[in-house]
Order: sequence, then structure tokens, then C-alpha cells
Amino acid sequence: MNQPNKPSALTGTVLNIQRYCSHDGPGIRTTVFLKGCSLRCKWCSNPESIARKPELSYDSKKCTGKKECGVCLKSPFPEGAFYVVDGAADDKVKVNWHLAMDCDEALASLCPTGALEIFGTSMTVDEVLDEVEKDASFYRNTGGGITLSGAECLLQPDFSAALLAGAHERGFNTAIETACNVPWRFVEQVLPHVDTVLHDHKLTIPERHKKWVGVSNERILENFKKAYETFPDADFIARTPLIPGINADEEHIRAVLAFIRPHKNVIDYELLPYHRFGLGKYELLGEVYELDDYKTPSDDLVKHLQAIIDEAFGRSGQESEGAR
Amino acid sequence: MSIEIGHGSFLRRIAIHTGAGFVPGMNAVVMGAALAAGKLGWELVGIRDGFDGLLHPERYPDGGLVPLSPQLVENLDPAAAGLLGQSARVDPFHVRQIDEDEMVEEVDMSDELLNRLRAEGIDGLISIVGGQGLTILYKLHRKGLNSVCVPRSIENDVAATMVSFGFNSALSFTIEMLDKARQAAQSARKIAVVEVLGQQAGWIALQAGIAVCADAVLIPEVPCDLRVVAARLKDKITPGRRYGLVVVAEGATLVEHSPAQAQPSTLKASLSPLATGDASDHVIQRSGQAAETVARGLQLLIAEETFPLVLGPWVRGGVPTAVDRQLGLCYGAGAVRAMKAGKYGVMVAFQPPDIKFVPLAESINKVRTVPADSEFIQIARTLGICLGREL
Repeated sequence: MNQPNKPSALTGTVLNIQRYCSHDGPGIRTTVFLKGCSLRCKWCSNPESIARKPELSYDSKKCTGKKECGVCLKSPFPEGAFYVVDGAADDKVKVNWHLAMDCDEALASLCPTGALEIFGTSMTVDEVLDEVEKDASFYRNTGGGITLSGAECLLQPDFSAALLAGAHERGFNTAIETACNVPWRFVEQVLPHVDTVLHDHKLTIPERHKKWVGVSNERILENFKKAYETFPDADFIARTPLIPGINADEEHIRAVLAFIRPHKNVIDYELLPYHRFGLGKYELLGEVYELDDYKTPSDDLVKHLQAIIDEAFGRSGQESEGAR
Repeated sequence: MSIEIGHGSFLRRIAIHTGAGFVPGMNAVVMGAALAAGKLGWELVGIRDGFDGLLHPERYPDGGLVPLSPQLVENLDPAAAGLLGQSARVDPFHVRQIDEDEMVEEVDMSDELLNRLRAEGIDGLISIVGGQGLTILYKLHRKGLNSVCVPRSIENDVAATMVSFGFNSALSFTIEMLDKARQAAQSARKIAVVEVLGQQAGWIALQAGIAVCADAVLIPEVPCDLRVVAARLKDKITPGRRYGLVVVAEGATLVEHSPAQAQPSTLKASLSPLATGDASDHVIQRSGQAAETVARGLQLLIAEETFPLVLGPWVRGGVPTAVDRQLGLCYGAGAVRAMKAGKYGVMVAFQPPDIKFVPLAESINKVRTVPADSEFIQIARTLGICLGREL
């Protein structure tokens, strides 16, 4: 249970800790992925991070089948949660996700091949920071540090604030990746401990934002504006996941530029070309990827949109590439 | 249990709803249930759009429930689209909502659903559902719902029943389209590779392929070697017959074309830490992929041009066949008979020559696939249709 008077003992739900990252803020960084998201972007490449609680995953490639194993077909696993299809080409286990959803870490750990796993685990602030500390020498040499990512790290405001404050105490640079679809009080609680805020401008028009992301962007934009003004010492870097057919167009890029350029602490605007690397994870969770037929943007399109950003920031294309 | 509901003189009030996805013939089931219920003096109401009519009544100015009297359904066009509407998601255990903080989350509304059914005086629910829906209704039944399910499946892959309604209509339309594909192949002097529905079960591909005497039929149950298909096509394509027709189920498995298991690159890992597949590795099968793979593979093996065609969701719509209309009426009436007999937690099943009530526990977690010794497979082979594997 969380003990508010001992921030280092606060617990949060952590999906993964990724070392040696170079895309999530300045220098070499350790990115801590927290679970829980308040949006449902159809292109999401981290579906395992969306649910706030730990959840079951199943990797059929690791399953050795009923004949060789069959552990999950018997008690104590829930009846009907796992099964084998008679007459199928192999005897690998299938998952009835509706019945298997209540499996916890203890049950998943009984799977001898590791085909069953739980995405997400509970960790204290100190446990996370001790893991992050392992690369402290890299941070010192490169100006790096810790980045909180997700899903949406602001959905665990107590934990995130304590983590980032603790990181500052240990001398690490701090950054977060956020879409800011949270009540302002969460933003206000966490941002005093953040050096760099990487924030997403996914779509400009509220109705289109709702269609592709699940909610309107009105509160998000309000939070961004308030954050730029309330935290003038933090560096803000705007980002757009670039998806052809959804938001990879000049109109969106120019609208974002018009929104961010009046604020001097928004130091850059980055494009994140849509990728399909997370596709396999939908299968691990028994879910369907809705953007199955969407393509990655062409190099020419990315270059064209990047040139618009470079022009707005008053730099040449070479400077922009060098900075990356 | 009979209840007094206070409006009208009905002995009992029951409801009917449909699961996600459309198949032809939904109205026939509704008609069958309404006529049978009316004959017993019961009131039948329809829940709009899956469970939405009950869970979100505020979205329906005219009410989330539709009274389905025998008089109303007698004028219902069995060939028209579903009267009750559709919902993309029909799972009360995971309802996507926006909370008071305007954040999206999935909540369990199963208790709420049962409470609202009780509040409406509804003590039995007929669900027209496919494989996933059966599991959801099984869970609801375990929570106390008096549930009777009617199986619907385009692919005819619901276990414990010989035929799910919707299949016959899809089969008929697939045959019609295959005839057209053959004509196109004849005139173009090419090999048409037509992808049809069937992710886990190859009934549509096999039965439609037999009906049109295709040159080859590839189904999920019989792993296929394209070299065998290519050899057969070489034999069949002559100067007097310069075309071919290959029917491939979307879930067909090719022995030579399993995707390589690659480790994620460093960049990829940094972008998506738990990624498992390559950017180009379509772990989730995309519609049309089977036709493309087979067409390209065959073209590389023989000196003939191929072209892929994808029927896919085209066959989900349209007018139900006579068989599906009869079956729908029969299943709807059968569901009411099950309720009259006090049988709940069951699925109405056609096990010739009888209509039976099968426990839901026996119909979930099973897929009705084509058995290796199926008579249809024997017939196909007898007709000279290649199944992609040496005998």
C-alpha cells in the first residue's frame, strides 16, 4: 500500500525499464514505461501499456503444446480459459481471452515455457531509481537521465512526481513523454520535477481527434498552453506521430506550429513517422490492430513536412539533421 | 418463472439481441422468436445495437427497447437488414467509456446489464451470436442470466451445430462470385486466385470450390504445398484450356511460407520495447494476403500469369437464401421453446434431423473445422480438385 509520507516507498505499475535510449530526451537515457493510458489511439504501438492493471499475454511461439506440456489446461487455471482445437494443424494452446482475463502473475508463472506472461509489475520508487542508477555514468557524460513514458505517465501522478523528484536528488536529468489528457492537477503535480516535456500533438481538429484517439483534444490543448506558461524553465518538445491518411499533412503541421511557436520554451517539434513494429503485440494480448492496412509515410513526405518545421524554427535542413 | 409486468396481459417478458457483425437472415430469427413467444402469450422486446439499448438508453430518444409483437414482425422483410441494429463491440465486461475526468477506460458493466434486465422485468435473453459472443453469454449465464443463444456464423465454424445461420447465404454468394471469376480468368487466359472467408475453418472454400469445380482449393485444415498445386495446374492448363481457378481460404496455411522469426532491431526495440514482429511481418492476417501470397507463389512456379481477387466481406451482406430464412425462423422459435422448457445456458443447435439445446460450455472453445476424413474432402478429390497436398 502506498505510504504518502515516504515517497521512496510509493508503488506504481511499471511495464518495462529500457536502458540506453537515445530518442526520448537529451543524452543517453533510461526510459521507464508506466502502465495506463487515457487515450485509445488506433495506431498505438504499445497496446500492452494501455490497461492500468497488469494483464496477461500469450506468445504462441513459446508454447510447446498439449502433448508436451498442457499445464494451463488443468486446475488451477480457470476452466475453459485455455484450450486446444481438435483437428488443428498443431496442438498449441489457444486462449479464450474472456475467461483468461483474471489470470494473475502467480498463475502465469506456472507456465514452464514462458508463453504466458503478465505485462506490468508493481515497483517502488526506490526500486525503479536503483535500476536507473546503473547507468549513471552514461548520464553524466551525455547529459542524459530518466524519461518517464507510457502509455501516459501522468496517470500515476504521485508515483511519477516521486520518481522524478528522486531522480533530481540523485542528479539525473528528467524527461516525460505525455499526451496530457489528464486533469490539470496531475500536470501541476508532476511538471515541477521535469526538465524536458516531450508532448504529443496528434490531431488538430477536435472531431477528428475524437475519431482516431477516443476523446476530443480541447482539454489537451488547454493543458499544453497552461503548461507552457506555468513552467517557463522546462523545455518543451512537441511531437507528432505521422500517419498518412490521418494527420500526415501540411495543414496539421502548420496548425501545430501556429500553436507552439508563440511559446519560447517550446524548443523543437519532432515528427515520428508511423511504424508497425508493435503489430505482433496485439496478437499476444488477443486484440485486433485496427490500422492494419495503413502504410508508413514515404521519406519524401517526411522530408517535405520536416522542411516546413525547419523553416518555422529558422534553421536549415542540415542543422535539423545534425541535431538528430 | 412467470412474472407480472404490469403492462398488457403477457405471462412473461423476454428479450432478444444480436452480437457484433452482420450476417444475412437476422430478421428471420427475430420473426421466429416473436411468433413463438406470441403464441405462448409472452412479450418479446428487442435490445437495440447489441446491449447499447439497455446500457445506454439515453442515446435512444425512441427507447432502447423495441417491442416485437407478432403483428409487427409479420410485416418484417426477412430479406432486409437487421431490425435491431448492430454494435461494433458487444461485450458488457469491457465497455469503453469516458469517465468524469474525460479519460477513456474500459469498465465492467455486466452487473449493470443484469440489473437493467431485471428492472425491465426481462427474465430471459435470446442472443444471436458467433463464437466470441457465445463465451460472453456463457459468462453472463454463470452470473445468473437466463440465456439462450442462436449460432450465427458466415464461416460455419461454431461447434456443436451442423449449420449456423448466415453460412448458406455466404456460400451461395461465394459460388456466384467464383463463377464470375472463372469467366474473367477464361477471357484473360490467366489463373484466378480467389480468397474467400475462412480464417480457421475452410467450409466456404471447400464447398464453394466443389460447386464450381475449381482446379484447387486451399483450406486452413490442410497445409498446402504450392509445388503440388503448381504441378496440378500445369497438367490442367492446355492450349485448349488456358485458364485456372484456385480458391483459397483466408486462413490457408502454406508449408513453405511461414514468416521468419526475426529479432527486433535496436531502433525498433527503442521505439517499441516489447515488439515481437518485424515491421513487415503481418502477424495479424490482412484481408487479401492469402490470395496475394498464393498468386505470387504460383506465378513463380509456373509459366502462367495469375491474378488475386478477394471476396472477403462482400459475402457478409445481401439477401438471405431460402435455407437461411428457414433456419433463422427455426432457430428463433427453437430459442423460445428452450425457454419454455426451462433450459438456459444453452445454444440452439441443428443436429440433423433434430433441433437440440446444447450447453454453452460444450460450444465454446471449439471450432468446427473440416475433418481430415470429411466426405467433402473425399468428394473434392474424386472430382480432381487439388487440395495442395499429395495423397
